[in-house]
Amino acid sequence: MTQAAIAQVRQDCCEALSGLERQLSQLKSDHVLITGGTGFVGSWLAEALACLNDDFQFGVKIYILARNTGRFQSAYPHLADRRDTTIIQADIRDFFDVPAKINWIIHAAATPDNRFHSSSPVETMNVIASGTMTLVKAVDRCVNIKKFLNISSGLAYGPQPWDLERIAEGYTGAPASGAVSSAYAEAKRFAETYCGAARSQQRLPIVTVRPFAFLGPYQSLETPWAINNFIRDALTGNVLRVLGDGQTVRSYMYGSDMAAWLLRILTDGAIGAAYNVGNPEGITLERLAQLVAERFNPRPEIRLNASNSDARHHRTIFIPDTTLATTSLGLSIKTPLPTALERTIQWNRAYHAGSAKVAA
Amino acid sequence: MPAILISDPTLRDGNHAVQHKLTLKQIAVYCDAADAAGIPIVEVGHGNGVGASSLQLGESASPDMAALRMAREHLPHSKLGIHMIPGFATIEKDLKGAIAAGVDVVRVASHCTEADLTERHIGFARENGRTVYGVLMMSHMASKELLAEEAGKMESYGAEGIIFMDSSGHYLPQDVTERVKTLTTALSIPVGFHAHNNLGMAIANSIAALDAGAAMLDGCARGFGAGAGNAQLEVLVAVLERLGYQTGIDLYKLLDAADLAERELMKNVPSISSLSIVSGLSGVFSGFAKPVARAAQQFNVDPRDIFFELGQRKVIAGQEDLIIEVASDLAKKKVNSLLEAA
Amino acid sequence: MSLGVQVSSESIGYIEKNPDCCDLVFDATSANDHKLHAPILKRLGKIAVDLTPAQVGGMCSPAVNIAECLDMPNVNMITCGGQASIPMAHALSKTHENIDYIEVVSSIASRSAGPATRRNLDEYIHTTENALKKFSSCARSKAILNLNPAQPCVNMQTTLLAKVDKPDINGLTAYFKKVVERVRKYVPGYRVLVGPLLENNRVVIMVRVTGLGDYLPAYAGNLDIINCAALAMAEEYAKKMAAVGAKG
Repeated sequence: MTQAAIAQVRQDCCEALSGLERQLSQLKSDHVLITGGTGFVGSWLAEALACLNDDFQFGVKIYILARNTGRFQSAYPHLADRRDTTIIQADIRDFFDVPAKINWIIHAAATPDNRFHSSSPVETMNVIASGTMTLVKAVDRCVNIKKFLNISSGLAYGPQPWDLERIAEGYTGAPASGAVSSAYAEAKRFAETYCGAARSQQRLPIVTVRPFAFLGPYQSLETPWAINNFIRDALTGNVLRVLGDGQTVRSYMYGSDMAAWLLRILTDGAIGAAYNVGNPEGITLERLAQLVAERFNPRPEIRLNASNSDARHHRTIFIPDTTLATTSLGLSIKTPLPTALERTIQWNRAYHAGSAKVAA
Repeated sequence: MPAILISDPTLRDGNHAVQHKLTLKQIAVYCDAADAAGIPIVEVGHGNGVGASSLQLGESASPDMAALRMAREHLPHSKLGIHMIPGFATIEKDLKGAIAAGVDVVRVASHCTEADLTERHIGFARENGRTVYGVLMMSHMASKELLAEEAGKMESYGAEGIIFMDSSGHYLPQDVTERVKTLTTALSIPVGFHAHNNLGMAIANSIAALDAGAAMLDGCARGFGAGAGNAQLEVLVAVLERLGYQTGIDLYKLLDAADLAERELMKNVPSISSLSIVSGLSGVFSGFAKPVARAAQQFNVDPRDIFFELGQRKVIAGQEDLIIEVASDLAKKKVNSLLEAA
Repeated sequence: MSLGVQVSSESIGYIEKNPDCCDLVFDATSANDHKLHAPILKRLGKIAVDLTPAQVGGMCSPAVNIAECLDMPNVNMITCGGQASIPMAHALSKTHENIDYIEVVSSIASRSAGPATRRNLDEYIHTTENALKKFSSCARSKAILNLNPAQPCVNMQTTLLAKVDKPDINGLTAYFKKVVERVRKYVPGYRVLVGPLLENNRVVIMVRVTGLGDYLPAYAGNLDIINCAALAMAEEYAKKMAAVGAKG
């Protein structure tokens, strides 16, 4: 990662965290464990905590746990080699040795890649279910655990009805049980309920977040379709291809806002509550493609893949209602989508400067 | 008027009918005619796709790269498509070269229950900016629910449409209707159908697919394809015109292309032979017709018996070697029963 | 663990921390991982029997080249289709001077192919093709893999098809019979189904591999054969080391 890219991400975090330092001060000098710490969520949290340490003298001890830490260490030494950071290489399913001094846990261990969910649905569910069960048991050893943040998923609600503008936390939908395409979502739902059981029986201070969709550095451009593909297509000089008639609706929150929200929910989220995290402002894929294309010169062509007669029933929507987080915790989105796009494109350009192929 | 995307695998499926011996010249002349007729996608290659030329499946007269380059030259407007089956073809050896040769559309195919074999190949085609579809072959061998699951996997890998094939010409229209309904409900991407004519149902099945919500159809000139052949393209387009669908194809020029195909590509216009009926009934891949006939002759057994036995064993496309085994077994049984009778 | 066997989830890390725990390592992780493990194992002086397609060490088919493999500290067990077909390719090359082209088609039960096999299908094909070329001294090869979902599960079946200059079916049959006997010492379920014969001007041999059924199901002969080959190789190493130990 270039110095410019590192600096940009740091600046993003500072902006997102500004105004929250007082509320987050409970983290000062504490020990924070992030499972799945080398993924998108983990990397942004590490950046945010590094920012709090460097710029606000928080003195947090950061522990990053992941199954494969090699790539993280070689690609992001500015995070991995920090003196306040310890990298733990372990499979979450076998990780019984949570350091007893851990005060805060953010449990993000899972694979978000939906291609993996299709090809290895058993392992997908196994990592989430077994991993959560192991971690929750291991946490019993932590004398001074203040909060356990379980990162669930907005997919746990099941498919969002087209006529429901935003899904709020009280919505009781669910993925179709038994279907292989529900593997990830159902496993996340199980993990949520398991955490609820552990909260009650083991008196563990567990809070849940249901993340929707995100954008930013540290995200692979490989996963098929929508925002990452538009960026990827544009960066590699290809046509931006949009599935269907482009009227599918999505929303995206920038990584730094996500990190700030997660930390605030970690410190002040109500035990036993669930909070949606994401951008409540939806945008059609077609409009999103236009926003991406506008940022390139020459402007790439956008092609709708609308070869079928009735695209209406192919449209989907996935937008959170974030009233709970914004009103009860005073959270807001600091980076609007166009800016988020700019920064993401810039980071990917800089990150891959010198290489013709855009890699993850 | 609703639009339907037509894909024409005359130069691919048709290769099955001539043991993959289509020449570069034949490819050139048909592509000229197809392009002139405005056929949206022209699919070229060995019957089992790029990289499939082999002793097992039959050796191509025209090596893949040469065939694709020739087709590319003669398709100034139409898109050039390929079919590819992981397990026969690989990214390094076959897909990379095809993309370099100018292929626009990549259809990555697997047996209907093995979609997870296609993840990397769909990904590669997509990352290289090609239009990529997932294809489920021998689709009668899975329930409609299972088919939808497998199609869902291909969708997650980045396929922008799914085509399910009636590789053995086994379906009746009701079968197709049910499957298309299930697939269109389960998927966010368009669904297509590829018919074979073993039971004389190719056109009817294709229309049933449309009525149930399919957006893409395959058809070959004069039905030139494996076994009893595919949906006869010029008939299909004529019917679509009458039903009010837009295909973008010029009917007269299409008829010319079909006439040309009959003259230049095939020794015999496809028809439904006794063997084709049997393979259709038994749900065995249409492309087995010629190797079965050959094995029947070599081992002196009834080819129809071979087909029914292959159907019993649920043999899938690519398992031509089993034909020899079955024929050999049947021959032994025949000898044994003769000995017993004696 | 209940059998008193040491178990760890640390992969190569455990061996690095406890180098005395073993002399020989079976690596069944992945091609990419083995490429990382190989130099570590070399440094630690361990023998590596590689069951991934990494091909760091020399290719090994016990019935064919076990002796020369004993001198190598890292051997690669190629692929399941490779283990099934190399005995055939070898017999062909020993009885025919001019082999134009060798092709191997394997069919395995869909159930016996997990996500890793499926993800690495291309690597499987390339590795098998390399092995065929090496063991038959033939310049052109092709490997095909079919996954068959039929229930009850089909047994692993491998067919060799070859184009040769002057087919000598009798010579091939006699030689191959001996090779099969050697293979059956470590894979008792290796059986010739058809041929060698000449069909449509091609040499054809078909073998079926059934597993022992002691741990893996019997239909998954493809899994058994590569494991058995690896074991056979390991036992030869062990015999050699014991002999050296006895002398020293």
